Order: sequence, then C-alpha cells, then structure tokens
Amino acid sequence: MNTDGTILAQKIRKSFGPKTVLKDIDLEIASGEICCIIGPSGSGKSTILRCINGLETVDSGVLKVNGEDFGYYETDKAYHALPPKRLAQQRTRVGMVFQSFNLFPNMTARENVMSGPVLVKRADKKESAKRAQELLTSVGLGAFGDRYPAELSGGQQQRVAIARSLAMDPDIMLFDEPTSALDPEKVGEVLTVMKELAKKGMTMVVVTHEMGFAREVADSLIFMDDGYVVERGDAREVLANPQESRTQSFLEKVL
Amino acid sequence: MTTAISKGNKAAMGSIDAALKPRLRLRTRSEYAGWILSILVGVGILTSVLTNSNFKWEIVGKYFFAETILRGLMLTIFLTVASMTLGTLLGLALAIMRASHVKPVSMAAGLYITLFRGTPVLVQLIFWFNISALYPNLSIGIPFTDISTAIDVNTIMGPITAALVGLTLNQAAYMAEIIRGGFSAVGKGQLEAADSLGMSASMRMRKVIIPQAMPSIIPATGNQFIGMFKETSLVSVLGVAELLQSTQLIYARTFETIPLLIVASLWYLVMTLLLSYPQSKLEQKYSRATARLPRKSKPVVLTDPEGIAR
Repeated sequence: MNTDGTILAQKIRKSFGPKTVLKDIDLEIASGEICCIIGPSGSGKSTILRCINGLETVDSGVLKVNGEDFGYYETDKAYHALPPKRLAQQRTRVGMVFQSFNLFPNMTARENVMSGPVLVKRADKKESAKRAQELLTSVGLGAFGDRYPAELSGGQQQRVAIARSLAMDPDIMLFDEPTSALDPEKVGEVLTVMKELAKKGMTMVVVTHEMGFAREVADSLIFMDDGYVVERGDAREVLANPQESRTQSFLEKVL
Repeated sequence: MTTAISKGNKAAMGSIDAALKPRLRLRTRSEYAGWILSILVGVGILTSVLTNSNFKWEIVGKYFFAETILRGLMLTIFLTVASMTLGTLLGLALAIMRASHVKPVSMAAGLYITLFRGTPVLVQLIFWFNISALYPNLSIGIPFTDISTAIDVNTIMGPITAALVGLTLNQAAYMAEIIRGGFSAVGKGQLEAADSLGMSASMRMRKVIIPQAMPSIIPATGNQFIGMFKETSLVSVLGVAELLQSTQLIYARTFETIPLLIVASLWYLVMTLLLSYPQSKLEQKYSRATARLPRKSKPVVLTDPEGIAR
C-alpha cells in the first residue's frame, strides 16, 4: 500500500515542563486530504503540527508520517531517536510554512526557493533556478525573484515561503497559521495559492483561523482545546452542525 | 475655515505664510555659559601646551618619522593584524563549540573564555613569555608511540611569539563572546526554517546563522581591532620593539621621555583615527542591513500648500 502523504498519530502526548499540551492525540490523515485544525490559542494545535515536522519531539505515542515512524525507529522495548541525517531526510518530505514566514533575509526570493534543493539535495544550480522561477511564477511572483524578503510585502513573503517549501517536492505540506501575521488585504492572495495547491492533490494540514478557507477547501476539520481533540469530522458538517458544546461556543465566537 | 485663519495670521505676523516659517531652536543661558567656559579652558590648555618648553615640540618633530619609530609602528601593525586575524578564527571556533549540544565541548569553550577573560592580558603575556619554566620541552608526536620530536620551548617562545600567542589567545576569548552574541541574535524562526528544509547543523551554521550574525559581529570586531591596536603597547614589557618600546629605547638614551611618549601617542592617535573611519562606515552599512522592515520608504512628496502667496 502506498503510504506517501499520509499521517497517522496514536495517543500522542507532549508536555512542556509541568504543562501537558498534547493529551492522547489521535489523527489519521489520508494522502491528498486537506485537514484544517482550529481551536483557541494554547490548545496545542500548533504543537501537533510542529511534531509532524520534528520541530518538537513527542513524549509518547505513535507518529507515522509517510508511513514511517517520524524521527524515531521502533525496537522491541523503545523508540530510539534517528541520527540527525535520517531525521533531516524525513523532514525534506514534509514542507512547513510558518506564521512569521521565516524567509532567509540574506537571500533573494529566488535563492530562498533554491536553498532547499541546492543546499540540502545538492541539486544542479541551473536547473534549480529554473524550477524556482516556475514555482515563483506559480505563486504569482515571477517578477520578484531578485527581491530580498525585506523588499516584499507580508503576503508576497508568505507566497515565497510556500514556494520554498514546494521546491523540496514534499509529500505533505504543513501550514502554521499562514495568514495570521498578514494584514486583511493580503490574506486572500495567500489563500488563493493554498487553494491552487489543494486542487493538485497535496496532503495539507492547516492550522488556521480562516473559517471561510476551512469551509471552502478542507475535507476534514479538527477542533482542539486544552490539548485534546474535542471534535473531528467532515469540515462542512462540523462547521455547520458542531456536536460538542465546546465546539459550538468556539464557532459562535469566531464565525 | 482653516485657510481663512492662516490668512488672518499672515496679515498679523509679517509677510511669510505661518505654515512655512522655520522653527528655531531655543538657546538657553546655560548653553552660552557652556560655550564661554569651554573656550576659556581650551585656550588655557592650548597656551600651556604651546608655551611650556618642556614639551620640546622640536624633539617630537625630529623623532616622529625616525626609522626606529617607524619600524616599531610596523611591528605594532603586524601584531595587531596577526593577532586579530588568528584571534577571530579561534574565536569563531570557540563560539561554534560554545553553541554545541555536546556538553563537554561547550563547557570546554566556556572554561576557556572564563579563564582568558578573567585574567589580565598583561599577566597572560608574561605567562606565555615564561612558559618554558612550566614546560621546558615541547614534544610533538603520535601518542602511545615512540614517534616524536622534542623542541626546546625557550627557543621558539621568543618575545614576538609570546606576544602573538598571548594577544591571540586573549583576543579569541573576547571574539568568541562577540560571535556568540551575533549567533543568538539570529531568530529562532530562522533555525526552524532551516531545520524544516532538512539542513544539517553545519549547513545551517554556514548558510543561515553566520551570514545573519555578521551585521552584529562586524562592527564589534572593528571596535576590537581599534582596541587591539592600543593593547599591543602592553607587549613592550616583553621587550618586543613595537611602537612604545621603540620610543622607550630612545628616551632611555636621550632622557627625552615626554616628547617621545608624545610621538608614540600621536601615532596611536593617527592610526586609531584612520581605523575609525572604515569602522563607522561598516557600522552604518550593517545597521541598515539589520532592518527587517522594507528599507525603501515612500518618499514624502512635498507639494505647495494651498493658497501660497506668490
């Protein structure tokens, strides 16, 4: 069975010091699925996303990304951390888009997009530049390749960041509140790029406050609160007809 | 309405439109007093310096370009450049070690920095000069084998080598702290972005952290460079014939202590001033580059105010 682009989590637990931020999280995301995670701040929705990319390690539970145990390998008695090289390899298959863009300010937009293939995959420079140009064009920034991040608007920076992640040809794309740092006018341009991506069959996990995006694009929706998955199901169904009272009161406030 | 009021003011207070009148700074009485006092003190000092014959300005002039002095200056410049270069490289290595996740490695770097920053440079210089008392013979070889060469430490640790070693090792500790400070100025998000792309630790250091740390490291390094230029005068105690020692050699003979110290001071001053120009340029350049917001601001278009008097 082809497991590329799938995410499976069972009983994931994670604490920061005395505070438990993830409590027995179960997830099952199929290849090509668009999953939105919503919830109040501090509910653990960003943390679960960061675990899927290895920016945080989970304390216990099973986490399989692309069908492989992520960051660890299983033995009879324990999970052992993978050597950095193997972890880096797994990470190249999972793209991450941050709330604060995190473009490298010392590189131009094109160099940012090329950074993954050239520096990590040791790809040919000329070919990568060509590919970077295509990706920049696909996010509507074909003419901005030579600009530095400081010379781009927030929306443009975020689109470059998406192109940078896509340049690695990931099987899964993670979005951590990609539009939260943008002014309302620029939110649309980033969401448009994400919708295009969704149409192409990429597995996407999106932590967001954009309910409109969730309703329009998402297949499934997860509502998290206080480290628990409170409710999950078909996106439109949950948004229209939430079963749990906590979900109802949250949606009442944000919609 | 507003135009009516401003027109009314124009009639009342002279012919210039009130909106175009320059705004002038207030000068207080204490400001004038400050001027007068400073000028008086300045003139006093200047007359004393020029009229006191003990300064012997003709001697200063005579020795300013003397060969011994110039040779000393060259050695001072060499020591500065060499110890700064080596110190920066070693400092970089220490800073990288300090950032290591491997505890003993980062602790070793920390211990080094503590030791070399916690003791005076002068003491360190004398220590390295006398290192042969501690280790008379240095043998280089492969451990646990018989292959080795013994070197007499006294012969290699001459005054200039001791000076170079002392200054370099000391400078490395300070540079390590500067570079580490630069590293920590790079945002956590940058590291996460590099990680999420699957960069290795060394790649992340070279392509992401170091380029971004440069803006804060380079100006501080320039400062250290200027500082080091003056710090080299300390090695005169080892008998290294750098700038200060060269003047000392002359006044030990001629007893013209003050004029020759003035010669040395003037050279230090000249070199410091020469170095501070590129230093300030560097600072300007890199302070601009650290701005994360768009550098280009929209130029303010100045248009003539409505109803301007022609």
